[in-house]
Amino acid sequence: MSFSLSTLIQQIINGLSLGSVYALIAVGYSLVYSILLFSNFAHGGFLVVGGYACYFLLTQWGYNTAVSMAGALAASGLVAVLTERLAYKPIRERTPITLYLLIASMGVNIVIENIFVVTVGGRIRALPQSTFPTGVFELGGGVTVSASDILSLVVAAVFLVLLQLFLTRTRWGLAIRAAACDLRTAGLMGVNVTFLIALVFFVAGLLAAVGGIFLSVRYSLYPQLGSITTKAFIAAVIGGLGSLPGAVLGSLILGLAEMLTAGFISSQMRDLVVYSLLVLILLVRPAGFFGRTAGEKI
Amino acid sequence: MAGTGKSLLEARDLRVNYGAITALSGFSLSLMEGEIVSVIGANGAGKSTFMNALMGMVKLAGGTILLDGCPLSTRTWKAVQCGLALVPEGRRVFAPLTVEENLRIGAFTRREADIQEDLDWVFSLFPRLKERLGQYAGTLSGGEQQMLAIARALMARPRVLLLDEPSLGLAPIVIRDIFKELRRINEQGVSILLVEQNAKQALLLSHRAYVLQTGRLLKEGNSKDLLQDPDIRAAYLGQGAGRGAA
Repeated sequence: MSFSLSTLIQQIINGLSLGSVYALIAVGYSLVYSILLFSNFAHGGFLVVGGYACYFLLTQWGYNTAVSMAGALAASGLVAVLTERLAYKPIRERTPITLYLLIASMGVNIVIENIFVVTVGGRIRALPQSTFPTGVFELGGGVTVSASDILSLVVAAVFLVLLQLFLTRTRWGLAIRAAACDLRTAGLMGVNVTFLIALVFFVAGLLAAVGGIFLSVRYSLYPQLGSITTKAFIAAVIGGLGSLPGAVLGSLILGLAEMLTAGFISSQMRDLVVYSLLVLILLVRPAGFFGRTAGEKI
Repeated sequence: MAGTGKSLLEARDLRVNYGAITALSGFSLSLMEGEIVSVIGANGAGKSTFMNALMGMVKLAGGTILLDGCPLSTRTWKAVQCGLALVPEGRRVFAPLTVEENLRIGAFTRREADIQEDLDWVFSLFPRLKERLGQYAGTLSGGEQQMLAIARALMARPRVLLLDEPSLGLAPIVIRDIFKELRRINEQGVSILLVEQNAKQALLLSHRAYVLQTGRLLKEGNSKDLLQDPDIRAAYLGQGAGRGAA
């Protein structure tokens, strides 16, 4: 594909749209990491729960798009809270070593994935055509963007802004930021830490569901859709694990890199470029863009 | 402000084990309303464990903790709601948050409407914090961080202010300021319980003191008397104790 300005602009818009979906996933991921200091690999499972909940609310129960999305967000949030209660809390209470949490989260991810394989089957599904606008906008000069890309960009931005407002303007948001710095001391301030952790998982699950729904729209829905979390994980690492602005920045970089590679080199090179980018950035900045260096913690 | 004779905080026969290690083996303490009580002892005597036990941060193997005659919950956040606030060892301010945010999180259990009044109160005690309001806590000096940690605990309007090694890592002149401030806080009606390795400063500040040694009580009494006690002088105050800056 030869270089053209219209392709560039189009791929930048696509990249930002994809990046914003990654950001929703990466931010939840980073949020959990910042509090409990482990990579929650079950995050991909939360995303799949959101996707399927939305699908079934739309197709089986016939709810409209807004209700189905709200239901999916709630379902995914609850599964996230439940996961923490059943799989992580018992471990947290017994050992301070977070490696066990990481391994448990991998197990939970496999469990969630296979629950869907067993119950609804592994076949690839698509959300109904009527769910989201399908039109294409002509921006002039041959630049076209799909309505769903714009929608996912806008929705992702809205959720990220809401999250930011929650974290900076509310009492519990302040508690979460304090806990991200020092969980134990946050408890000394009279914060119910058990509730705080549940709240963080709920928010992370909710954001994952939004990501899951838009990934289902962009690609399709299947039990292994959660594996795309790897990309969000990379984005979070590039931005600096535990840093929310970092997660957003990393996600946008990743989305842009993928789409520009697809536009100007080849679609098949996307992952190669993404992973090379990860290695390169980690070589230069091992803690990512906004990551805390080891000495700062504790 | 001296004790009024009414027991505010009472720890009875506290026992804490870490696996096979006994950290506290039946330690009892009482604090009267308005009193300053210190617990002194060497490193590893169980002082921090005692503080953490009061805050519900370690599991008790036995014993009870009463605040105003009512048993305290084993949940930390409830202990704070009941009126205990701990200034943890090493200050532990939230470095990436601003001074104001640190103070606001300290007031987590309070109603929004009361926070401004409490802010004015802690600013009257530590005017320097007001100047530093928008600054990140991590950029403060050690002494300022200790002031912030104390102010943060006071924002919960505690009935008992607990301090774990407030002198740790601070210059002597800063320690003197901090302890002067603690006396002023006590004069404004806050009961204080502190554990300290710096026995001399602790005894000079407090009304009564307990000496803790490997998890059990060695001695208790009026701080004035303990300052003169030959055993205490030898073991905790050094030979030259009694002289020098107070």
